[in-house]
Amino acid sequence: MSLSRRRLFQRLSPVEASSPAEWIAARGREAGLTEFGEQGMAAGARPIRIASNENPLGPGQHVLDAIVGKFPEAHRYPFNAKQTEGALITAIAQKNAAKNENVLLAPGSGELLVHAVRAFTSASKPLVTAWPSYETPRDIAKKMGIPVREAALDGKLRIDIAKMVEASKGAGLVFFCNPNNPTATVHGKSAAVDLVKAIRAASPETVILIDEAYHDYVTDPAYGSMIDVALATPNVFVTRTFSKAYGMAGLRAGYAIGHAPTVKSIAAYKMPYGLGTLTLGGAIVGFANDAHIASERKRNTEVRNFTVKAFADMGVTATDSQTNFLFLDIKRPAAGFRDACRAQGVLVGRDFPPYEKTHVRVSLGTMDEMKKAVEVFKKVLGSTTTTSSKDKQQ
Amino acid sequence: MSLSRRSFVQTLGVGAAGMWVGARGREGSLFGSEAVFAQGAPSPIILSSNENPLGCHPDVLAGVRGSFAEGGRYNYAAVDEITALLAKKHGVKPENVLIGSGSTQILRTSTHVFTSKTAGLTATIPAYEECADYARLMGHPITGVKLTADLRMDLDAMQQASKGAGLVFFCNPNNPVGTAVTASDTRTYLETLMKQSPTTTVLVDEAYFEYATMPGYATMIPLAVQNPRVIVARTFSKCLGMAGLRMGFAIAHADTIAKLKAWDGTNNVSIMGLMGVKAALQVPDQWVKDEQARNKAARDFTQKWFADRGYTPTDSQTNFMFINIKRPAREFRDACLKEGVLVARDFPPYEKTHARISVGTMDEMKKAVEVFGKVLAQPAKSAA
Repeated sequence: MSLSRRRLFQRLSPVEASSPAEWIAARGREAGLTEFGEQGMAAGARPIRIASNENPLGPGQHVLDAIVGKFPEAHRYPFNAKQTEGALITAIAQKNAAKNENVLLAPGSGELLVHAVRAFTSASKPLVTAWPSYETPRDIAKKMGIPVREAALDGKLRIDIAKMVEASKGAGLVFFCNPNNPTATVHGKSAAVDLVKAIRAASPETVILIDEAYHDYVTDPAYGSMIDVALATPNVFVTRTFSKAYGMAGLRAGYAIGHAPTVKSIAAYKMPYGLGTLTLGGAIVGFANDAHIASERKRNTEVRNFTVKAFADMGVTATDSQTNFLFLDIKRPAAGFRDACRAQGVLVGRDFPPYEKTHVRVSLGTMDEMKKAVEVFKKVLGSTTTTSSKDKQQ
Repeated sequence: MSLSRRSFVQTLGVGAAGMWVGARGREGSLFGSEAVFAQGAPSPIILSSNENPLGCHPDVLAGVRGSFAEGGRYNYAAVDEITALLAKKHGVKPENVLIGSGSTQILRTSTHVFTSKTAGLTATIPAYEECADYARLMGHPITGVKLTADLRMDLDAMQQASKGAGLVFFCNPNNPVGTAVTASDTRTYLETLMKQSPTTTVLVDEAYFEYATMPGYATMIPLAVQNPRVIVARTFSKCLGMAGLRMGFAIAHADTIAKLKAWDGTNNVSIMGLMGVKAALQVPDQWVKDEQARNKAARDFTQKWFADRGYTPTDSQTNFMFINIKRPAREFRDACLKEGVLVARDFPPYEKTHARISVGTMDEMKKAVEVFGKVLAQPAKSAA
């Protein structure tokens, strides 16, 4: 571990176990669950962080080199740098046979999800989301007092397309996360096209947001990106992020791509200069390197296969993961499992109601990390008394 | 409002977009900077965005490099760490601090939380546009308050126009005019307003704090942590030379910070920015003093050059100048651009007479005044 990483860990403040919900609401997802100080694990131990679906290898060296190349411009606003947002927008547009007006950048795709809810929903135009799915659209809608229609998943924990279409009538926005976080399942291209067609027929004014955050990790041959459909179809757009396969979660970059008038509606809410000069430099170089992403997909697939099999050997079933995380039926509450793993230096995902009593989300680290983590999982799942520390207190 | 005051105040409807520089990107859209940086062309002198021309302290970049091992991770833990360090630096508690993606995010979030369709935004005309842009996006009313004849904030007029506002944007020193209000005058304004208008919150933007040298100028941070209706915004984009890292913060009463946080989080800031700030907080005070002195010398040189030729500057307390060039800013800007010098956008209602020019290095300013001399020697094409 580098010195900087060690220092960072030593300064992590203890989590207020009493109010995890507030922490998540105020900050971000695993914030209150996974990062911790001396409590919960042995002093000086280095945790295996498999809670937030990050790329364990981080940005490629080519990205880091590009960032260092931007150091002479660290004092310039991004619009005054030699490469502005325009350079990244153009690269994204060209790769997708689109125009610059089809692309919108943001510091992570999360901001785009927020803007979409603001732009397209209202008290009379609800949000539709599968449930569970990535929480941001639902969270922001609830915060704004906008009605939310939750469509339950099907028996294989896939998004139920018929339920989504049914719920879409009169909705302002449909959030379709494909592959779906946290359940890791994916729908093939034809099913996604059918979903768009059916919603367009049932509710032509409804905007459809297809979140492809995990696009680069999908190996199912039936899957295909919906960017081409989004470019050609009114009220449809796709979001992508540099936080997953590109390994840049800490650098904050993502984008929306789709039908120009739809993208323009979201752009109205965009925060100026959200992507820093260094982040832009890194993202431009990262985006250009398809070979790096192919190699990362291959690495992740190998780790995924290993980990799925290791769980199967323990009698634990995973959904058909097309991502860099697994959704596992551990037949016990996630909270107790999580606490027990944390005590052994392994950090896994948060609760995902209504599956929090039976399922846990485990991100994929490096092969080495997963081999170690599997030993911890065996130990924890072998024990019949993995009671939550929180439960003990109460 | 008395009749005499009325002329100093104007209510800007949602449709009055022309009064404010519209949309995203500020200078970004002015030049289309990729064209400016055309391959092989000499580097322009950038005097358009009030950046520190020398850049940040080298330790900041070392801090950024040190963050690389965390580049693939979300920033949750680092946000806590840096929030605590910022609090310590300013003698407040972590619950008094909110980190933002530049002060831009703080300005937008404050406008979102504290203005509404019935309680709008009050700001000077001109003032840094972010709050007004956002209020207009939301369809919230905007009241603009004109400056005095010597381009200072008219505190009496502000006092009147602030009554009933949801949020007052109090930019001190003021961007784009560069003038500042003393701490004592600011406190008097705030105290009176608190009594007059019990539901108004004031956002004191101290983006140029480190550059202000005027006697009597001081931060409102001590007041903000006591008073739930005062917020101070700061940025690392100016004196600290970190505009490309996008880091700023708010300091306010814990309840006020909680309200801001409830609307918008800290997911936009990068680990590079956070670790850059960590290093910046260790930068010796002398480095900031040296930058202040360097800026003042280059500013004095340039302002004297203008004053000697009959072009009056304001009393700038910042790293930019607001100069009465007696011709439209656009005409001046376009002509300077052709000579490789970038100066700032229009600032209505002064766009027919005044230009905002950031302070570069002394060397850059010596070259720039050659260009200004050449440009101003040409007769104005359009009437001032």
